[in-house]
Amino acid sequence: MATIAVDERPPAGARGPGGPPGRSSRRRPGSRLKRRNTLIGWSFILPNFVGFAVLTLVPVITLFYLSLTSWNVFGAAEWVGLDNFARLLRDGSYHTALTNTVYYAAFHIPLTLAASLGLALLLNRKLRGVAFFRTVAFFPYITSIVAIAVVWNMLFSPEFGPVNQFLGALGVENPPGWTTSADWSMPAVILVSIWRDMGYYMLLFLAGLQTVPAELYEAARMDGANGWQRFWNVTIPCLRPTTFFITVMLTIQSFKVFDLILVMTNGGPGQSTLVLSQYIYAKGFVENQFGYASAVAVSLFLICILITIFQFLWNKRRDA
Amino acid sequence: MKRTIPTALGASAAVALALTACSGGGDAAGGGEPADGPVTLTLAGWSLASTPEFQTIADAYSAENPDVTVEVVEYPAGNDYDTALVADLAAGTAPDVYIIKNLKNYLTFQTGNQLLDISDVAADLDPATGGLEHYEVEDGGTYAVPYRQDSWVLFYNQDLFEQAGVAVPDGSWTWDDYAQAARDLTAAFTAEGSSAVGTYQHNWQSTLQGFALAQAPGADLFGGDYSWLAPYYERSLALQEEGAQTDYGTITTNSLTYQAQFGTQQAAMLPMGTWYAATLITQQESGEADDFAWGVAPIPQHDSSTTGTDATPVTFGDPTGMGINPAIDDAKVEAAKDFVRFAVGEGGAQALAEIGITPALLNDAVLDAYLGLEGMPTDELSRFAFQEHDTKPENPVAPETAAVQNILNDAHSAIMSGSVSVEDGLAEAENRVASEVGIG
Amino acid sequence: MTTVPAVPATPGAPAAPPSTPSSTAAGGRPLRPSRPDAGPARLLGRGLGYAAMVLAAAVILLPFAWMVISSLKNNNQVFTVPVQWVPDPVVWQNYVDIWSRSDMTTWLKNTLVLSVAVTFLQVVTGSFAAYGFSKMHFPGRDVLFLAYVGTIAVPWQSYMIPQFIMLSNAGLSNTLWSIMALQAFSAFGVFLMRQYFETIPDSLCEAARIDGMSEYGIWRRIMLPLSVPAIASLTLLTFVNTWNDYLGPLIYLRSPELWTVQLGLKTFIGQYNAEHALIMTGSVLSVLPIALIFMLGQRYFVEGIATTGVKG
Repeated sequence: MATIAVDERPPAGARGPGGPPGRSSRRRPGSRLKRRNTLIGWSFILPNFVGFAVLTLVPVITLFYLSLTSWNVFGAAEWVGLDNFARLLRDGSYHTALTNTVYYAAFHIPLTLAASLGLALLLNRKLRGVAFFRTVAFFPYITSIVAIAVVWNMLFSPEFGPVNQFLGALGVENPPGWTTSADWSMPAVILVSIWRDMGYYMLLFLAGLQTVPAELYEAARMDGANGWQRFWNVTIPCLRPTTFFITVMLTIQSFKVFDLILVMTNGGPGQSTLVLSQYIYAKGFVENQFGYASAVAVSLFLICILITIFQFLWNKRRDA
Repeated sequence: MKRTIPTALGASAAVALALTACSGGGDAAGGGEPADGPVTLTLAGWSLASTPEFQTIADAYSAENPDVTVEVVEYPAGNDYDTALVADLAAGTAPDVYIIKNLKNYLTFQTGNQLLDISDVAADLDPATGGLEHYEVEDGGTYAVPYRQDSWVLFYNQDLFEQAGVAVPDGSWTWDDYAQAARDLTAAFTAEGSSAVGTYQHNWQSTLQGFALAQAPGADLFGGDYSWLAPYYERSLALQEEGAQTDYGTITTNSLTYQAQFGTQQAAMLPMGTWYAATLITQQESGEADDFAWGVAPIPQHDSSTTGTDATPVTFGDPTGMGINPAIDDAKVEAAKDFVRFAVGEGGAQALAEIGITPALLNDAVLDAYLGLEGMPTDELSRFAFQEHDTKPENPVAPETAAVQNILNDAHSAIMSGSVSVEDGLAEAENRVASEVGIG
Repeated sequence: MTTVPAVPATPGAPAAPPSTPSSTAAGGRPLRPSRPDAGPARLLGRGLGYAAMVLAAAVILLPFAWMVISSLKNNNQVFTVPVQWVPDPVVWQNYVDIWSRSDMTTWLKNTLVLSVAVTFLQVVTGSFAAYGFSKMHFPGRDVLFLAYVGTIAVPWQSYMIPQFIMLSNAGLSNTLWSIMALQAFSAFGVFLMRQYFETIPDSLCEAARIDGMSEYGIWRRIMLPLSVPAIASLTLLTFVNTWNDYLGPLIYLRSPELWTVQLGLKTFIGQYNAEHALIMTGSVLSVLPIALIFMLGQRYFVEGIATTGVKG
């Protein structure tokens, strides 16, 4: 039972109405079954898909079209072919934004993953007041983003801020300038966004942890596995669908990061925290170059989707 | 799946067609018979509770024209106004008359056929209306007209000057005189053990670059060379270094507001737009700001050629315009033009002045109404400062304005935060303007 | 551990001091609930643990504390150097003014209506579609799913104008329906539920099919009850996101009687002036309902809900 419980999907070709008839099954009953199955499958997906297709897919495909035009939001969208993309290659600010986004993602993804998993493990216990601590951990995510930006900027204030006063007390001679320094603004933003997002992903991990069957832990204990081994050999494998989901979402959200940076540093000082989403907004809504902004968005989409497909394939291989 | 992709593509094509089609209404200008009977016009404004100017104009107009009702549609303030308005214009759901909040967006609206040609309205206006000339475009047409124009002046706290024993501004100041006063004030405050400083320069790009662009010889936003900004940065950085001006990093990290810094006497001087006068009066009344005597002086000048009360001080400020949406019902065009004519003319100016707003049309009668407000400074220099100025636009109307200003804004935060030297920061801006905007 | 003959009844008894993270972190299993031999070291460890958590909680809550403090100040006292942590005077008036000077009641009502409707639609249609993606097998399924996930990777602000034009042409702009339509069918919910369904063994569905249960019955009677934790997290996250959404209402809702809290609070920001104290007052009031809902909702993250079903 215990081993079945962690099986995620039967191998392709399993029996039953849900099983995909393999390439070999071209027999008639199979194909009728297949048709019926497809119909039922679609009936499940349809209610959501109709809304999704009309409200999201169509505008997104329109966006792809717009990326090949020069469009200033009013007036005709004039076809320019790949001009916008050629311009991307030459655009220094775009390169800065891309580099900054990758910098942000490279630190934000693993650190948030670790912090939120740690929190979830810590708060998945029957200890007194756990409801309170869980709420506290989730609080940054529901607090007004303006208040977050204000308070953290204050904490990071180079002269009067508690962070640097603390560092000074530890004997750090030249504490960083944080959000007022081009070198330290990105680390400051990353720290704050980890702090803000960890409760969000903790919640998803908490849901995932409830799927780990208690029997597996019992069995592992019986085998004399210590805490670390149980974590590594039971928790991690059982959490894999959740971890996969969280990694994909976290990756995409990191590459799309927007509002926190906008209110915290507005991309500055200079261009030190300019990220792609912000660049899209600036090109679109400030300079009214919606065609070019769409091309930047498409490039962001392509980066995300490549990483996501890679994650999907990797996950599939681990499944097999 | 096989069927859905073509469907989605088809639907997208339909949207794309709609995008190209919905902007065709730009040439309905002028036509149509005036409607008989009551007309309702809609006007886009923002944050009505804290920004009464739109309702004030609307009410003043309706009082004279009982047949016309002007309904103000509320948008959020700040940049969100433009975001939401652009969406509404693109979808064809924008109000009949709207405010062009930022001068740099005027051309976008105009070239995008989102403004009716109202040259006939402009021709009826008093040529002294401040900023009117900026709205005339290359083809000779005028597509919007200014109803208010704030210009930048120097606010100063008379009590603090007196206490420090420093002479108040007399209209003869250059920026060096201003810097010296800031130092003297700060020294006096420090000696008394007060934490107040000489001057507060808010962290906006405008508070420094606006003056340089208006005053520095050879200053040109589209010249590709920005060395004219350097002396202004060096002076400001020196003041900051000496502690005579609130530190840029402190302002950003503590989200300081100029209203609180000047209003609670943390700084003795404040270069700011004329809009602040009304705010300061309100805050002094409500007790949010301290009760102190203040005055307004002309902004310090680049050199002595434009100082003194017999010269016209040079400053900057963008006019705020009003235009008509071409999607308006033909029958309402005449009413809308009449409303705009009123708002920008004497009637609107009087109504605005009475609530403490500096209208674009600032003749003696209007100025009397404005300065007659309870709490306004009454000295001669303040009157001079409000009335006499050569106000240059901060964002000259050109297609490249937004892009260049964005680049200069990045340079501003980099230089003021000390992340780069003045020289490097401006060199970087020049490079970017050359490669991204194609100037220089 | 190896030398001491272990008592079989306590196989999990950690050799290391109980406060070491490894023993508690192991999958986050609860420590044995009733252990009579709780020694002083254990109590001390637990006490230290709590102290550390309370300290961490205080740091995490700092911005919220600042919001509360600012809501009790005058406007010009909100941003000062150095920070004034104790309001003087304490301005309770803000909590009176916000109701009398604005339409807070309407804003709260609209926000609540939107959040409930969006959450309901998202959970129902999302979990329904997730069943199709997870437990049904048909051609094109994976490609379609990838299209769902792919759209998450497109920033909303890049396609909100085409979307707005479309919905306006359909006559939906400036109605609450527009926000519901916008938020309710996001790919996020489908993805979340699908991943959770993946952890529920197919053997359960098989067994039910053999018993003659329809696919819809399996979704309703087996999958939903087993995925309470996932539904709880989807509910909470969707609710919070809708509650705090700003850009959507900004673009779509023009009439003051339709405004949400986040949009309404922006009316305290004028062209040249902002009422920071009132904004913070409104923000505090806006956070409280979500905090309450979270407190109530988090109890569904209790181990056992999901697995008991699997055992049967």
